[in-house]
Amino acid sequence: VIPFEMVEPTSLQEAIALLDPDEPTIRAVAGGTALMLMMKAGVFQPTRLICLHRIEPEHARIAVNTAGELRIGAMATLSELEKDANVAARLPVLARALRRLSNPRVRNVARVGGALAHGDPHMDLPPVLAALGARVTIRGPKAERELPLERLYAGYYETVLEKNELITAVTVPERAGRKAAYMKVTSRVADDWPALGVAVSFALAGGAMRDPIVVVSAATEKVTRMASAEKALHGAAPDDATLARAGEAAAAEAAILADAHGSAAYKRELLRVYVRRAVRQALADDAREVRR
Amino acid sequence: MNQVGRDIPRLEVRAKVTGRADYTHHLRLPGMLYGKVFRSTVPHGRIRSIDTQAARTLPGVHRVVTGEDIRKLIAEPYYGPAFHDQPILALDKVRHVGEPVAVVLASDPHVAEQGVQLIAAEYDELPAVYDELEAMTPEVLVHEVLRPAGTFADLKHIQGRKGTNIALDYHLRRGDTDAAMAQADRVFEHTFKTQQCLHLPLEPHVAIAEPGDERLTIYTSNQTPSFVRIEIARLFGWPENRVRVKIPYLGGGFGAKVYVKLEALVAALSMLTRRPVKIALTMEEVFYMITKHPTTFRIKSGVDKAGRVVARSCQVYWNGGAYADIGPRVTQKSGFTAAGPYDIDNISIDSYSLYTNRTPAGALRGFGVPQLVWAYESHTDLIARELGTDPVQFRRKNILRNGRPQASGTVLHDAAIAEVLEALAARMDWNKPFDRGDGGTLRRGRGIAIGFKASISPTTSVAVVNVAADGSITLYKSTVDMGQGSDTAFAQIVGEVLDVTAESVRVVAPDTDVTPYDMGTLGSRSLYHMGNAVRLAAEDARAKLRALAAEAGLPEGTNYPAAEIFKKRYGMQAGNVIGTASFVPSYKSPDVQTGLSDNVTPFWMVGGAGAEVEVDTETGHVRILRLVNAADCGKPINPGVARTQLSGAAIMQLGFTMSEAMLLDGGQVTNASLADYKIPGIGDIPPMQNELVSAEQHSGPFGAKGLGESGTFGVSPAIANAIHDATGVRIMELPITAEAVLRALRTAAGRPLDDE
Repeated sequence: VIPFEMVEPTSLQEAIALLDPDEPTIRAVAGGTALMLMMKAGVFQPTRLICLHRIEPEHARIAVNTAGELRIGAMATLSELEKDANVAARLPVLARALRRLSNPRVRNVARVGGALAHGDPHMDLPPVLAALGARVTIRGPKAERELPLERLYAGYYETVLEKNELITAVTVPERAGRKAAYMKVTSRVADDWPALGVAVSFALAGGAMRDPIVVVSAATEKVTRMASAEKALHGAAPDDATLARAGEAAAAEAAILADAHGSAAYKRELLRVYVRRAVRQALADDAREVRR
Repeated sequence: MNQVGRDIPRLEVRAKVTGRADYTHHLRLPGMLYGKVFRSTVPHGRIRSIDTQAARTLPGVHRVVTGEDIRKLIAEPYYGPAFHDQPILALDKVRHVGEPVAVVLASDPHVAEQGVQLIAAEYDELPAVYDELEAMTPEVLVHEVLRPAGTFADLKHIQGRKGTNIALDYHLRRGDTDAAMAQADRVFEHTFKTQQCLHLPLEPHVAIAEPGDERLTIYTSNQTPSFVRIEIARLFGWPENRVRVKIPYLGGGFGAKVYVKLEALVAALSMLTRRPVKIALTMEEVFYMITKHPTTFRIKSGVDKAGRVVARSCQVYWNGGAYADIGPRVTQKSGFTAAGPYDIDNISIDSYSLYTNRTPAGALRGFGVPQLVWAYESHTDLIARELGTDPVQFRRKNILRNGRPQASGTVLHDAAIAEVLEALAARMDWNKPFDRGDGGTLRRGRGIAIGFKASISPTTSVAVVNVAADGSITLYKSTVDMGQGSDTAFAQIVGEVLDVTAESVRVVAPDTDVTPYDMGTLGSRSLYHMGNAVRLAAEDARAKLRALAAEAGLPEGTNYPAAEIFKKRYGMQAGNVIGTASFVPSYKSPDVQTGLSDNVTPFWMVGGAGAEVEVDTETGHVRILRLVNAADCGKPINPGVARTQLSGAAIMQLGFTMSEAMLLDGGQVTNASLADYKIPGIGDIPPMQNELVSAEQHSGPFGAKGLGESGTFGVSPAIANAIHDATGVRIMELPITAEAVLRALRTAAGRPLDDE
């Protein structure tokens, strides 16, 4: 590692001011679990790192806001999120996903904001939060803006964040009675980056699924909602024919990439199968996780 | 108290788990330089120029060294155990991506690393050959000149085939295979392939050379200290005693650290700079150091009406990569067992060690045998299925039993092949009904496989047992304990002979100034060879103690403690007794024409596995419900350590079976990191049972023999056989990824997946 400057601002405002919209070698670091690997591999050589550890503690808070939504501060660690009582009660799908996200050593250090801003399509939090209808809050030097989570992503390792913007929080709306599931499908070993991630959520009314969200990750260049699959599910009962149709629709719609996890053709098959399994898992709800 | 057979924990466990054990990685010497390696980016090419100017002038860089600099120090700077074919740094040509071309030296490893980024090399690229079958044709020649080393007594004849890529071809002819095949009732022929994978000890290669006054000390993570000493001395034209090789504990080896790896490079660099030089590879660089041979194995069997295999022909092609390393030995030693542990009268074997433009291949936990068992046990299972015979019953009918000649002509003794097969059948409840699931998308099946291996021969081990004047005992040996528990086993043997506890015996780490010769810690040879030497050395010490007692005037047959004997003899706590022994088993080299020998190995290793699997037919995912491992290790010295050797080997082979594969694109490894080269994690380990069958190796120390590799033999074919049993599809190539299984299922169903 080549020497660089490390700055430890004590406020969010100060941290943002230290960033430079035109200088890619200046970056903020929260948990550092991804950035350090990139630096070790020589993929990223910083001139200055803005360490966020000392900014106001409120940015690490996880709490229900006045609108009844769960607001997760970007500096919360993944472990804190995993163990949070509100998360366990309201978003069991999220708590479950976290237990299979990397390992405890990483979860103890990695921060929610970093996990969202990294932009690697293989990560677990973005698809789950996208399926939960989460919004991400972004602060720049002048203004704050809010985006639906899936709109944060522009491409492979690419987000719409300006270089002098930071994610400050992610907000998950109250959606009582909605079913949700996330399927992390690995193709090589059990503990691995997924070859495919499928996250779904939907309401159930009179035996029919309402307002479904179907999100694909890992196999595509970015976290992507599958409009055609959502359409196939909306208003239908979760029977074999409907789920097969939704799987076909997603497989036809998704722009799937080949990589070391498998060919595009194989991952398309996985998607076809796992849309169905994800809906079934959501219906089983808090029941034990279906394997792989 | 009996020491042999005691289930004691390994002697070094406390030091290891408390972080007190020494490893070469920890060592820093005053004035030490760190070397970082600039590597070839092309698979095959003539070196046109190496521009080191920018690196040399980088502040903090001490020196940049290329192959030509080394040639000024050593006129013929080539090393290797079978061929002297590997240059210390590339000379004239590069032969694989990742080959070391230059080294940047600096006191700060980060500066050295930065210097490497500033080097630019130009090559005239040559056509490359990657596939072992393509390498059989001489269109691309990896080496224009072959340089046989003549190191091994058994490989003295090897010359290589000039104008080809064949480093060694081994042929065995027993009976008349063609005639028997023509008369057979049924003939079966299949081709199986294995992939390139690697050892991946969690401690990557690391070595330090420290120049002294007309001598050199090398600290290294290596499995063959005596060989390193001899080879470095040869390169410098020195007597052996000017080179000292010291080896602390290893963080794993598995064959990745046999013979010279980084040692010649750090030795040359330290002689050029007169400074200590350390090179420690990153995990990514290990992918360019040494690998396991990819293979293609064509196997054909003729079976008579009674279901007996009457003829088998085997053609095995070993993809050795750019440098021969130990490949020729793998080709021959494993080659003659290629027909499997079956009693077959007519056998022909052709085994070829081939040069290609890949990372060199060596021996990996099994010395080539797992590649062979993969083919012959998959093939054997396919035959049984075709004949409608139960796979266990089919093996029983054909199995090779003690007293019968193996393919080489050597009569089998103390090889519990039938016992391993029966142990597997019993543990698998083979005769009971098997739950195949509900006929839905999850299908269950089971399979077994057995394999055997000859020990590397002829090899020598020497041991020294030193009894101090207080009776405390120190053992000197050059076996490297890399986690297999050899120090503990030897302490138990010494304790048994000299009637002390194993825990009280001090075992000295390999240091060639101090510890005597050993051929190397490889091929599961240590417990048998060094174990015998240690036993004999301890017996020698015991005899000398008795002589000392007689000199001291003590009556014969009394059991005075050693300390009292010394005191009586020397009048105070003084003196010592040195017991020594060397052990080299008898051996007869196979006939060059027929490949036959009536004394081809001192002992046989036997291992097998049984697997129950569940296949998700919608995704190809295979869940291993149960893995049973059984092996013959003679009478175990330490049953607990032996069982963990068995399970550890099985888990390692599980990775080679299910997920591990080096992916190549134009000679470049595209997954050279643990993020994309996947070894099994705890979530991949199936429920396992590990059984040591009741057996005895009569020529072994206290009836014992080696076991480190036996757990690898049966795992891959047992799983493929179980998948076939579950789904009706056969996987012919490793690894058995979920995608490979789904593709096979879909092809069988007439709906193949497209190739994108």
